[in-house]
Amino acid sequence: MASIYSPSLEDSAEVKEGFLCPLCFKDLQSFYQLQDHYEEEHAGDSRHVGGQLKNLVQKAKKAKDKLLKRDGDERTDSSYESFYYGGVDPYMWEPQELGATRSHLDYFKKQRAARIDHYVIEVNKCIIRLEKLTSFDRTNMDAAQIRSLEKSVVSWVNDQDVPFCPDCGGKFNLRNRRHHCRLCGSIMCRKCTEFVPLPMAYKLTSGTREALWAPGSGGSPVSTGQAVVQQTSRRGSISSISSVTSVLEEKDEDRVRCCHHCMDALLRHQRKLEEKDHVPDIVKLYERLRTCMDKVEAKAPEYTRMAESLNAGEKTYSLESTAALRMEIQKYYELIDVLSKKILTLGLKEELQPHPKALQLQRMVRYTATLFIQEKLLGLTSLPTKEKYEELKEKRRVEQEKRAQQERQVSLESHKRRLENEKNRPTVSVNGDVAAPRVTKAGGWLPQSDTRSEQDDPLLQQIENIESFLRQARSANRSDEVCMLEENLRQLQDEFDAQQTSRAIEISQRLADETDLQQKQIQHLQQREMEHRALAKTQERPLRGETDRTDEHSVRGDLEKTDHTRRGGADQAEEQPFRANKAQYQSLRANKAEDPSLRANKTQYQSLRANKAEDPTLRASKTQEHSLRGDTSKTQEHSPPSLENKSPSKNPFDEEPFSPVEEEPTNSQTANGKKEYNPFEEENDDPNAAKNPFEDDDDDDDDRSNPFKEVSDETPASSTNPFDEDDEDDTAIEEELLLQQIDNIRAYIFDAKLSGRSDEVELLSENLKELQRTLREQKRKK
Amino acid sequence: MNVTLAVKQYISKMIESSGPGMKVLLMDKETTSIVSVVYTQSEILQKEVYLFERIDSQNRDNMKHLKAICFLRPTKENVEHLIQELRRPKYSVYFIYFSNVISKSEVKALAEADEQEVVAEVQEFYGDFIAVNPHLFSLNLQGVSRGRSWEPSVLPRVTQGLTSVLLSLKKCPMIRYQLSSDMSKRLAESVKQIITKEYELFDFRKTEVPPLLLILDRSDDAITPLLNQWTYQAMVHELLGLNNNRIDLSRVPGISKDLREVVLSAENDEFYANNLYLNFGEIGTNIKNLMEDFQKKKPKDQQKLESISDMKAFVENYPQFKKMSGTVSKHVTVVGELSRLVSERQLMEVSEVEQELACQNDHSNAQQMLRRLLQSPRLSEIDAVRLVMLYALRYEKHSSSILPSLMEELNRKGVSERHRKMVHAVVEYGGKRIRGSDLITPTDAVSITKQFFKGLKGVENVYTQHQPLLHDTLDQLIKGRLKDSQFPYLGPSSLRDRPQDIIVFIIGGATYEEALTVYNLNRTMPGVRIVLGGTHIHNTKSFLEEVMLSVGSGGDRSQIGGRQMSRR
Repeated sequence: MASIYSPSLEDSAEVKEGFLCPLCFKDLQSFYQLQDHYEEEHAGDSRHVGGQLKNLVQKAKKAKDKLLKRDGDERTDSSYESFYYGGVDPYMWEPQELGATRSHLDYFKKQRAARIDHYVIEVNKCIIRLEKLTSFDRTNMDAAQIRSLEKSVVSWVNDQDVPFCPDCGGKFNLRNRRHHCRLCGSIMCRKCTEFVPLPMAYKLTSGTREALWAPGSGGSPVSTGQAVVQQTSRRGSISSISSVTSVLEEKDEDRVRCCHHCMDALLRHQRKLEEKDHVPDIVKLYERLRTCMDKVEAKAPEYTRMAESLNAGEKTYSLESTAALRMEIQKYYELIDVLSKKILTLGLKEELQPHPKALQLQRMVRYTATLFIQEKLLGLTSLPTKEKYEELKEKRRVEQEKRAQQERQVSLESHKRRLENEKNRPTVSVNGDVAAPRVTKAGGWLPQSDTRSEQDDPLLQQIENIESFLRQARSANRSDEVCMLEENLRQLQDEFDAQQTSRAIEISQRLADETDLQQKQIQHLQQREMEHRALAKTQERPLRGETDRTDEHSVRGDLEKTDHTRRGGADQAEEQPFRANKAQYQSLRANKAEDPSLRANKTQYQSLRANKAEDPTLRASKTQEHSLRGDTSKTQEHSPPSLENKSPSKNPFDEEPFSPVEEEPTNSQTANGKKEYNPFEEENDDPNAAKNPFEDDDDDDDDRSNPFKEVSDETPASSTNPFDEDDEDDTAIEEELLLQQIDNIRAYIFDAKLSGRSDEVELLSENLKELQRTLREQKRKK
Repeated sequence: MNVTLAVKQYISKMIESSGPGMKVLLMDKETTSIVSVVYTQSEILQKEVYLFERIDSQNRDNMKHLKAICFLRPTKENVEHLIQELRRPKYSVYFIYFSNVISKSEVKALAEADEQEVVAEVQEFYGDFIAVNPHLFSLNLQGVSRGRSWEPSVLPRVTQGLTSVLLSLKKCPMIRYQLSSDMSKRLAESVKQIITKEYELFDFRKTEVPPLLLILDRSDDAITPLLNQWTYQAMVHELLGLNNNRIDLSRVPGISKDLREVVLSAENDEFYANNLYLNFGEIGTNIKNLMEDFQKKKPKDQQKLESISDMKAFVENYPQFKKMSGTVSKHVTVVGELSRLVSERQLMEVSEVEQELACQNDHSNAQQMLRRLLQSPRLSEIDAVRLVMLYALRYEKHSSSILPSLMEELNRKGVSERHRKMVHAVVEYGGKRIRGSDLITPTDAVSITKQFFKGLKGVENVYTQHQPLLHDTLDQLIKGRLKDSQFPYLGPSSLRDRPQDIIVFIIGGATYEEALTVYNLNRTMPGVRIVLGGTHIHNTKSFLEEVMLSVGSGGDRSQIGGRQMSRR
């Protein structure tokens, strides 16, 4: 995209956007139109800008072809890109609304209402009658009185109408007497009778009574209870005479006789009442758990924002308050952990074990809580220490000052340039070396190059410009631009890589010759070795110009972090073998290695691509390549110390690229990766099984000769313990950081234990110990 | 037009509308797979659904503190189970969702059972199909045909499935079907009938160009399911068997306990999503890259933790690392197993001959290659049979057919009687007599020139020359050139413009190779969206079972029929 803005801030009246011609500011609708326009109108104006434009177009075209070959960070995108021709990936289909639905709820409710009305009325009738039946004192009344009272509540069915028991079909006679249900008045035999005990009756009716008495008495259950007592005692005082006729009838003093239909209805009602009031423990705990989770959800983003701002050295938030917030969030995590553990163990100690499904529920709640902690806690960014924060603030201040100064200068310059422009329209590069603040208008967005390029190599300049655009585009969330720019960048980097590779190969070959020579000399004259080295170094120096190095460094700048740090090390140790290694590494990256073994590898790989490779080669080449990679990086790491020791035999070129020693870790790492997979399964199996995996894993570790153990064993053995070498001055600064790290590692240990990855626990606790030891040592030194 | 999303939205809507609190999801056998394909357990756990129960399970406790979300197919059995459940409710509230149209009388029966007023919702949510990929769905039905016509119990289920796809995508399509297949016609009519009957449901906002439903028959292209596949998803299905996005790795030698069964879901496995449609070689490269990435992030690499900044880097990378380690180990295992099988079974050689048989027209060369390969002792039984099948289909009527001697060869190799019978069954299922369009030798001038040009250009990749017949069919359809005489419209009206939204359904099952074709068409054709469906997603093994069931010389019919019980 070619675009330009009016170059000075003061003159903000007009900001143009779109496909503008960089020379005459004419707005053209598309890139191609712009290109045509440019070629027609300004063909002679400036070769420089034209060349750039053309270059970009060509590169964009070429980029597509090369996409697959480059293995940068964006390779997953690029593999998609490779067959994208204008259609839409089904994964990208636009969001769609919820599919058709149809509700039957209204009809359902209508149907249910008819049924429910019937049912509810029945139950309510029973309860109202029950209340009437229990509202007098039964003990002090004779049977006849009770019977007349009972009869007044519900009319009894005539004895003559019912010759057989409707429930069991037994014939009624003197032996098998008729009984009446006091709640509905129907007749049944003795066997089919049920009784409602008075306590249950009171319990059932208390609800209705409460409702009835509520307006007057305030509805408290205590007052209703008293009311009942008063009522019954009053009635009791009225009744005094007992009847003789009631001898044949058994007296139901503390219960109400009823049929089992009514009993059923009452029992169901009772269960419902009980459930309404009963809140199981798990629900209480669960509710607390949820509130904690909600709080974390609410606070975590705020904290992240604060921490980010602090880490950037801004002063919007204070370090203390952020730390306090962090503490608060961590407290919530602890609470979540404790609560979910409680839920997990709920009812396990009781004699009657809970239903397996209830246990499963508890496990699942616990699992969800652990997932939650893992996801959120581990995403919590760490805070800078006080000293670090001061540093950051200072850095930021300096940066800001610098930028302000730059802006001033730039505006001055651009002003000057504009004046010149008006005179004789000189060239203004598309990418604009000018770095003015970003100009936006109505949400518009324009990239600008903010790096002041000092490189002579036009390719590097280009790369740097595009990188700065890319950064801006990213921060402005312009994904389409980002895509385009990334493509350009990739392309340029390809080109540059190729250039560098050929250069590197050259150097490495020369170096190889030299080392050959050296080795011969070593064999003959070991004593003169040191001198020769010095000589070789001086010979070597002219080969690598100063510019060369900086170039490389800047290009690589945007590559992976690890790469970067490695290179950082490279700058410090400017020794020959390292150089060679780097060259080798680069040649490997670009897949253009001269090394015959590498080439063999490559061809193997390509043949696999064509699907013609024999299968073992897939594995073989994979591991080979891995080991190669591991090898180069390892040797890189090793080379500086080896040089310090000046041990002549340690020339990295003597090492075979396929040394089996290096291959081992890669393989066993894979094995380990497998093992760590899925913590969940283990937890799910059985609470007892939770312990078993640890043991299993431990065994495995021993069998497979855990690489990490080896390495950790190595650490103390290696003479250069980093902590010993630490400068005394630094230790004071690092102490807080150490504490923080200890905290973090503890969290991980907790997490790893939870999911039963014992090897990680081991590793982590080792680290923890180390850290603690360092801390102690530091304290002692103080 | 994204079927995965459609089902996902239905399910998240169900869960959301039940409000906060602990929930249980009550499902039947089929809805369990419908849900599990689109949601992982951890995803659904985050929505407070902690238990998953089968409605027909007897081992359920009273848990009044749980809300129940019922997602059920509207079958007689399910309604009966639900009535029993409502009579004695085990949970506090019930939200009932049926995956298809349910009759009023059944709603009434349910309402009458709900004496305790525990039901809070009764709805139809039309997620009655298994959404394998965004553009691919299956009904997981096998044995749909008996001879040349429908297995009677299956047609209603297929109709339900297909209409639910239409409803979930809100499409009221015009229907075209394959004339040569009576089953296609029957299904088309059956779908049309539902659309007419439930016209209120199908009353969607009219689009400029109405969507199109194209119904095809598997027997028209019996070759595609017989080929070995080289793209990731298809290969996994062919060699390991992909069932509801799950693969069973328990037979893999030396497999660890964690990896006995792994889930491959493009929804939450980025690596899988990116490599679904890449070929084996590319996956090899990507796996390598993945490993390298992983090793970079792996904290153990910085095990020495030379300085405090190392330590800090380790701590910061830890969560990412953890996430990655699962993916890495899974895919390394799967790809490792695939490559083991490829070498063990000589699949490269097999595939080369397969492709030669399927795509070239050189009988003498093909027969030579075939004979030579059949001599190999490492050739597995199934591969030998499938090669002979391909030959039989390809050179069925060839004057100098060597089929009898090939059959003898199979016999000599000790191939079982059952497998040898299959060769004839496949010819009976998808031979020349049956095919409507000519699968193998293009007859019209355009296709001949196309074939010719293909020949001139040379073959890019020997193992992936084959394009399924579906590709041509869809290509013609999109260009508006699909012949009405072969694929007539149901009803009087026909589409004047080129179609935009297309739903293709293959009776007898689709394959992942066809899914790939549709995927690529979607990507390359601007403005066209195609969704592919089938009664099943076949690999060679399941396809042969299907063939045997259809031809009727094997399989237990009653068992299959009993599995697809259907209400109407």
